[in-house]
Amino acid sequence: MIEAPDLSLSALSPFLFVFGAALVGVLVESFAPRHVRQPTQVALALVGTVGGFACTLLLAGRGEVTAAGALAVDGAGLFLQATIAGLGALSVLLFAERALDPARSAFVASAAVPAGSPRDRELLTDERVQTEVYPLATFAVGGMMLFVAANDLLVMFIALEVLSLPLYLICGLSRRRRLLSQEAAVKYFLLGAFASAFFLYGLALVYGATGTVQLAGIRQSVTDDGTGTLLVLGLGLLVVGLMFKASVAPFHTWTPDVYQGAPTPVTAFMAACTKVAAFGAILRLLYVAFGTADWTWRPLVYGIAIVSMVVGAVLGLTQTDVKRMLAYSSIAHAGFLLTGVIGLDAGTGSGLAATLFYLLAYGLTTVGAFAVVTLVRDGDGEATALAQWAGLARRSPLTAAIMTFLLLALAGIPLTSGFTGKFAVFRAAIEVGAWPLAVVALVTSAVAGFFYLRLVVLMYFSEPAEDGPSVGVPGLPTTIVLAVTVAATLVLGVVPGSVLDLADGAARLVG
Amino acid sequence: MGGIEIGTAETVVFWVLGPIALAGALGMVLARNAVHSALFLVNTMLALGVFYVVQEAPFLGAVQIIVYTGAIMILFLFVLMLVGRDSSDSVVETLRGQRVAATVLGIGFAGLVGAGIARATEGMVVTGLEGVQGGEGGAADGNIEAIAGLLFTRYLLAFEVTSALLITAAVGAMVLAHIEREPGSRLTQKERSRARFLTSDHPQTLPGPGVYARANSIAAPGRLPDGSPAEASYATGVEPQVVEELPPGDPAGDGRDPGAGRGHGPDAALGTTRGVTR
Amino acid sequence: MSLTNYLVLAAILFTVGAVGVLVRRNAIVVFMCIELMLNSVNLTLVTFARSTGTLDGQVIAFFVMVVAAAEVVVGLAIIMSIYRTRRSASVDDANLLKY
Repeated sequence: MIEAPDLSLSALSPFLFVFGAALVGVLVESFAPRHVRQPTQVALALVGTVGGFACTLLLAGRGEVTAAGALAVDGAGLFLQATIAGLGALSVLLFAERALDPARSAFVASAAVPAGSPRDRELLTDERVQTEVYPLATFAVGGMMLFVAANDLLVMFIALEVLSLPLYLICGLSRRRRLLSQEAAVKYFLLGAFASAFFLYGLALVYGATGTVQLAGIRQSVTDDGTGTLLVLGLGLLVVGLMFKASVAPFHTWTPDVYQGAPTPVTAFMAACTKVAAFGAILRLLYVAFGTADWTWRPLVYGIAIVSMVVGAVLGLTQTDVKRMLAYSSIAHAGFLLTGVIGLDAGTGSGLAATLFYLLAYGLTTVGAFAVVTLVRDGDGEATALAQWAGLARRSPLTAAIMTFLLLALAGIPLTSGFTGKFAVFRAAIEVGAWPLAVVALVTSAVAGFFYLRLVVLMYFSEPAEDGPSVGVPGLPTTIVLAVTVAATLVLGVVPGSVLDLADGAARLVG
Repeated sequence: MGGIEIGTAETVVFWVLGPIALAGALGMVLARNAVHSALFLVNTMLALGVFYVVQEAPFLGAVQIIVYTGAIMILFLFVLMLVGRDSSDSVVETLRGQRVAATVLGIGFAGLVGAGIARATEGMVVTGLEGVQGGEGGAADGNIEAIAGLLFTRYLLAFEVTSALLITAAVGAMVLAHIEREPGSRLTQKERSRARFLTSDHPQTLPGPGVYARANSIAAPGRLPDGSPAEASYATGVEPQVVEELPPGDPAGDGRDPGAGRGHGPDAALGTTRGVTR
Repeated sequence: MSLTNYLVLAAILFTVGAVGVLVRRNAIVVFMCIELMLNSVNLTLVTFARSTGTLDGQVIAFFVMVVAAAEVVVGLAIIMSIYRTRRSASVDDANLLKY
């Protein structure tokens, strides 16, 4: 006779909300007539993500392990879940924008029609949209929320797949430059599956070394029996798999291509939410399972952080495309985040709080920056080449001002959230004596600041080209996204105190 | 707690099937033709299925053979056939030296991980699964019951979340493969027939390659009895191209088919060329 | 003969798969190499289940198979769509299936 395990439905409520919305979305897709699908799906996806956000807020302060030890409900997990759900809702708003593209959406009308075929050209201006993107994105949000709360390696793996499969799919659904978008999907899929195989092999070795996959059990085994070769090998492979998702160099090769090829709203979603989710899982794995044996991962993370910061900052300088430049910026930021991860201090845990704050700040700024990218367009869709952005301030001073502000935040200039975040993670690294890392981080931020400033200079001090792009007038959804992200970036930079306190209070992991 | 001994039979099975599995893996990587690769992989998977059965996992062994080999690999073969069997790989390296570098890296990785695992598990006590899945005085009734017990208790959350994965896969396949058509945008059979009879002077089916064909490619036209290509038989949707055909009869024009004269060749065998019917 | 033999065989199969991913250019073959890697992980899991005397390894291997099935559906659908495009005389000059 099998005894049913104890499931705390209240602890699961964020997932029930998000996955429930996704499932209803799939049903709507099959039964509702086409003209009502778009508004219904947008509403459903927003209900799911905002509902999930609200549920995590209601759960704040809980600290327990439920579902037979598979799910951890704790401050850090809930903070990250709320961040993911909130950023997911903003991304859904970007998905829903109808005013910018003459064809009324950034997504393809029918993904099954081969690109370049006569039927495809016919559908290019059609108002139809492949509305399955909304339930798929909602599934991805659910997977990400589970990823940061997974208390055992198997749930972590399944959550990794639940968040990845929909992303592979929606990467390939761009309306314009479809071939590039499909190529991005293939590339992302193959490299993503490759990385999850490494994650799995690591899981298997850790299981072999400890006889369990529960993080608490691994911690117990590490404390009691010490770490053997098997465990260290397994940990290394697990970290490789997770670093891939977080697009940390040297596992970043997919990032620029996929960011460039995917529809820009999807890029915003991936850049913000996937990064938060992947770092949530990295924090949980390293702190909960291997927190008592930090010598096993500290050198590895130390090295990877340096490589990622240098690669992101240096290669970012050579880019000629805005989306690729932001991709390299995301690689550099992954390195900065790892300096926060290094700053785990058994007593105070300031590294954890700093990383949580940085993830929130970075996610908001990135969504805003990609939202601006969707505004600058020419006849062929978005104008992403850097040269086309020359003199943008003359055409649209407001857009240029917003982009400048967001870029300064990414560069970490004071009075923006980027500065507060960087300050917090660098301080956490210095606190544990990793000041060489902090020095490297400072130097690379200065280098990275150069390519952000280059774009600012280009927008303000260059002559606009004759046949340059126009700046679209955003509809309500994009306007909301821009307003929220700019306001948050400013508030988190000027008066970050309350949110820093919140992150401090949330910086607890159970396991 | 002494653990269990590994018997001679298992040793024999390992040393027979292990090399076969390895050969399959290497064959898959080295084969130029994608279909050969798939079949090599099937070979490896079957060997692994036997290993599972030997290692007290009969359920997984069956699932491996039925689901992995029987369903997943067949799906692979299906797609390979669909996209064109002859999509063999180019041997041109896009990055110079990449193949060598990958191989060196691979040998290094295998050495590191393999040696690490070998050293770490040397003299490892094999507990065996008797205690958890039955046998003499076991705790449960057997392998499948014991797996079900874990699946619906400790791994319940993972089990439930897997449904999201499967739904995503189904929706994804629909999105990428199903072309939605407006109702009425496609002619019915009746309308098609009517249109054909009213407008075309060729209501019957177009000629196929027929008995005079000299090639079995769809790109080759059918032949009229005098050997000339039948214009109406050109396939639509396939670009006309030169295909290898059997040599036509009677190149010299002397009224005798050389193939028939020599008493061999398909023309003679079929008895359908001019030379024979005359 | 000990269980180490299985584990080393699995490590070698995993490496062969990984090298295959790096050297092959055909997307479907690359995907098959990934499947080989997953299979070798399953062999490792089943072997460790036997050595540690817990069934968790077998259950995890079962989950890996389910996930692999879902992944195959999505992956092959994506690869199919790009192949179909390529056959329909596309004008885009994307460097397909090379990465």
